[in-house]
Amino acid sequence: MSDLDRQIEQLKKCEPLKESEVKALCLKAMEILVEESNVQRVDAPVTICGDIHGQFYDMKELFKVGGDCPKTNYLFLGDFVDRGFYSVETFLLLLALKVRYPDRITLIRGNHESRQITQVYGFYDECLRKYGSVNVWRYCTDIFDYLSLSALIENKIFSVHGGLSPAISTLDQIRTIDRKQEVPHDGAMCDLLWSDPEDVVDGWGLSPRGAGFLFGGSVVTTFNHSNNIDYICRAHQLVMEGYKWMFNNQIVTVWSAPNYCYRCGNVAAILELDENLNKQFRVFDAAPQESRGAPAKKPAPDYFL
Amino acid sequence: MGAPEKSHTSLNSMQRVKVYRLNDDGKWDDHGTGHVTVDYLERSEELGLFVFDEEDNETLLVHRISSNEIYRKQEDTIISWRDPEQSTDLALSFQETTGCAYIWDHICSVQRNIHFTSLNNETFHSDNSELRELPAVELSTLPLILKTVVESGIADQMRLTDLILHDQDFFRKLMDLFRICEDLENIDGLHMIYKIVRGIILLNSPQIFEKIFGDDLIMDIIGCLEYDPEVPHVQHHRSFLKEHVVFKEAIPIKDDQVLSKIHQTYRVGYLKDVVLARVLDEATVANLNSIIHANNAIVISLLKDDSTFIQELFARLRSPSTSAESKKNLVYFLHEFCSLSKSLPMVQQLRLFRDLMNEGILDIIIDALQSQDKKLVLTGTDILILFLNQDPHLLRSYVVRQEGIPLLGLLVKGMITDFGEDMHCQFLEILRSLLDSYTLSGAQRDNIIDIFYERHLGQLVDVITASCPLDRNAQSIGKSSGSGGRVQEVVKPEILSNICELLCFCVVHHPYRIKCSFLLSNVIDKILLLTRRREKYLVVAAVRFVRTILTRHDEHLISHFVKNNLLKPIVDAFVGNGNRYNLLNSAVLELFEYIRKENLKSLLKYVVDSFWDQLVKYEYLASIHSLKVKYEQCQENCGAKGTVSVSDPRKRIDDRALEKEEEDYFNEDSDEEDTATASMSNSEKAQVHPVLANGVAASYQTSSPRSGGLVDYDDDEDDEDYKPPPRKQPDTDEDEGTMESLRLKRKLSSKDKEPELSKKQRLGKNSKSKDSVFAALCSTLSQAVLPSKKTASSVLTTPHTVDGDKSSGEENHQENEVAVSRSCSEKSSRDENHRENEPAASRSCSECLHGASDNRQLGGEDCPLIPPKSSPEMAVNGS
Repeated sequence: MSDLDRQIEQLKKCEPLKESEVKALCLKAMEILVEESNVQRVDAPVTICGDIHGQFYDMKELFKVGGDCPKTNYLFLGDFVDRGFYSVETFLLLLALKVRYPDRITLIRGNHESRQITQVYGFYDECLRKYGSVNVWRYCTDIFDYLSLSALIENKIFSVHGGLSPAISTLDQIRTIDRKQEVPHDGAMCDLLWSDPEDVVDGWGLSPRGAGFLFGGSVVTTFNHSNNIDYICRAHQLVMEGYKWMFNNQIVTVWSAPNYCYRCGNVAAILELDENLNKQFRVFDAAPQESRGAPAKKPAPDYFL
Repeated sequence: MGAPEKSHTSLNSMQRVKVYRLNDDGKWDDHGTGHVTVDYLERSEELGLFVFDEEDNETLLVHRISSNEIYRKQEDTIISWRDPEQSTDLALSFQETTGCAYIWDHICSVQRNIHFTSLNNETFHSDNSELRELPAVELSTLPLILKTVVESGIADQMRLTDLILHDQDFFRKLMDLFRICEDLENIDGLHMIYKIVRGIILLNSPQIFEKIFGDDLIMDIIGCLEYDPEVPHVQHHRSFLKEHVVFKEAIPIKDDQVLSKIHQTYRVGYLKDVVLARVLDEATVANLNSIIHANNAIVISLLKDDSTFIQELFARLRSPSTSAESKKNLVYFLHEFCSLSKSLPMVQQLRLFRDLMNEGILDIIIDALQSQDKKLVLTGTDILILFLNQDPHLLRSYVVRQEGIPLLGLLVKGMITDFGEDMHCQFLEILRSLLDSYTLSGAQRDNIIDIFYERHLGQLVDVITASCPLDRNAQSIGKSSGSGGRVQEVVKPEILSNICELLCFCVVHHPYRIKCSFLLSNVIDKILLLTRRREKYLVVAAVRFVRTILTRHDEHLISHFVKNNLLKPIVDAFVGNGNRYNLLNSAVLELFEYIRKENLKSLLKYVVDSFWDQLVKYEYLASIHSLKVKYEQCQENCGAKGTVSVSDPRKRIDDRALEKEEEDYFNEDSDEEDTATASMSNSEKAQVHPVLANGVAASYQTSSPRSGGLVDYDDDEDDEDYKPPPRKQPDTDEDEGTMESLRLKRKLSSKDKEPELSKKQRLGKNSKSKDSVFAALCSTLSQAVLPSKKTASSVLTTPHTVDGDKSSGEENHQENEVAVSRSCSEKSSRDENHRENEPAASRSCSECLHGASDNRQLGGEDCPLIPPKSSPEMAVNGS
């Protein structure tokens, strides 16, 4: 069994890797991710997953429902970290799978894959707590910069974490973003990761999130038409039923963190597409309490103070 | 506290309600006003709503709270229900919404508890459990205690807490029982005790915590928590704490209180993070954290105020007789000490760090950073990061002191050292923080930045040059070591990537310095060697480096790119990447987009003129196509303006050719002035005139470096810099320093070049471009000089230059220029080693002259492409 396979097994048990292993993994991941495009092409069949937010045990449920990684082809729409208790294990497992099976799993960037956001919403603190220093956070956030921004499934389904941008009317325009940077406060890259579709908005509206935009049905219609795509698949917003169609089936939100923040009471969903792009949503619940393993934190064995 | 009777209900307005009953006519009858409480029904463990008349304390209402969903809340002040027992509709109308909400929550919570109880063992239902006192702690009463603890509703929790706190023997007896159960291996009993202890902790009472986390109880409490019925295996927390955890006493701590707090802190942390990690709610975690926080604060402040302790600590750290091993432990101790000081109030933290610095902690770190032990080195950096987070100025003030100078060097060294599998990104982090111009204040900033650029920039750049194939083809041959000449040093690619990142940071933060340093020693060429690396992320890093420089919108840097064909490696990398749509592809396209959108005309022209053959096959990409379109538009515009302004587009292409000839000519001939003049078209001559009149060359000719009235700055230090190279004045050795250091830099940089180039160093292409750079600096100087010379009416923009410089920090191009010249000379003036003698200085002068003329050439050529606002120099030329 290779080191990587061993690490994947270890991560599947929700045991974080050593700092040195994280470093090696990140360097390998960087070489793979740098070759990906801003609109990463993905073949069907594929299973699309929305936000995970460090809910490791719920992600294991996801894999139970959707199948294991190399067997099932996965597309994760970002927001792997923050809020949940296991951002480190969650992200590292996904990254290890990416390095091990680069063609069977696609990771794109969410608005939480950012230095600024993770310092507020938990990933930073979790790294500090689990490793005693923020080096792992630094390495992971460096990797975030390399993550692709969107995906295009069989030229027909555009997938992105947040939504559309007024600066982007064709997929080709995404090509000229130099994505290797912290998520900016405005501009195309920011919007892709932050925007939301909104019923009441016709055209573009200000987002209450303070970044990105709200976009209405007409925007989606135009975008889908001019890019010749069937629909947009995105995540980024909690939907109690796990998924939600909008604007006459032109855009769907997929949410994959059940009982979000361990208290929202929602179910989660993943979207399975077969080779003919037939859709099947799979809805799942949070992992039962007893399946959650022993606490991950190993305390430092010695102390001065 | 007396046994809480019904009268304990303080009669406040929150509880004030009117009771209504629906009569047979369908109307609500008022049954009086009173105070509502939730309490146990008589001789029952069930809870009910009571309303007592506010005047005579008569019972207006007794209602057993039902588990059924019969209650309705209306308009925030009314709770109504149909009483199944009396089969009537009842309503309570509250005086206050908060009261209503409070009772409503109570009802809900009682309902939840009823549900919970009915799900659980019915056996616990007994009649004698009134929360008036705690049951006696015996094996037989464990179920009752458990029930009391876990089933007490919100209302009873306070009461339970009080009872537990007032029963002096409760915990002692419970722990006795625990030990008995453990001895007897009474698993049921142990499971119950686990639940009881967990329940008590979840009461989240600071007073209870104080009690159970005391030295006498905490280990037993942790022992109780080993028997979680939901976890299949018994946990061994106590043995871990007793046998595996080592309390290291780097320095003996004599104060018992401190020792006790230290142990308690660790154990509470362990309890929180390990034992009860998935049990605790947020509120309890917060309380436990505040215990830890408070303990840390006590420990740190007791230790820091113990002067003998601190003195002994530092004495041991310094003493040569202390073993390496215990020194290492002392450094680890220091790290924890600094780290925990975060629990102190801000002012005290600052004082502590200042005190530690005065004790010499940073000297200790300098030692640590030189250790062979990588872990120790990294601990040293961790302490530095704590200092930086606390107050960056402390560390900066140290770095600029004599004894602190080595620190910067060690950090740079650390950054380029291979730490094997350890992470060492902290070095980059610390350097960034030290060099951060946004937070640095004047003198400190200049000092640190000076030291860095003088001593370490070259070092970093050298790592890159030494790690990249000299020959572009080396890459395709493979990375076989040194097959084609120089042996490639094995530097981890991540180190190269860190260097590149730091340099990008420098570009953003020190626009003046980088301009000076980059132009003079071909730094950009060298960084661009990264494009030859196999690792694509390094190629991308090089692209980003270029992109970052272009963000400066600096004409000199841009023309440096053009003149030295610096985008070639980028274009080569782009073309080499072919049609692959990856990060490299995107990064280069973005760069082109930037050039187009920002209208960087000279670059646009250069890119299309030089690389269109290569790029044409990518014209299907929108960005490439629009680059060409933009280029053509520019050409047309220029053509249209051609009549008014100087050169038409075709001619400029000719100029480019001319320039080539000129270069060749330079390589053969040494008469620089003639060459320059000869290569100038008439119109250029005319344009250039103002520069001649006011610029360096002119000053040089008059040989009056400082005719007092001419240059009259308030800020004397700043104008030291730029007297033009003087013939000689005894008091101007600083200027000689300037010249010499520039010259030396050139020499240094040319070492890297092929021998045949360095042979003609002075006149060859390399030196020429450097000269032109220098000329640019000189002409900058002339701009700086201009304002005081009121006759220079052609340069209306320049007065800003001086003012702007004083209010430094803005990214104004004009300011940049002045500052470059300033920092260049400041640096050299500080550099004592580079003092020079007359001949060298005057040679530099002649180079300077050459450079100036060369620059005129440059200016003339670029003029039509550059928006007038972008540079004062252009304002001169274009007038």
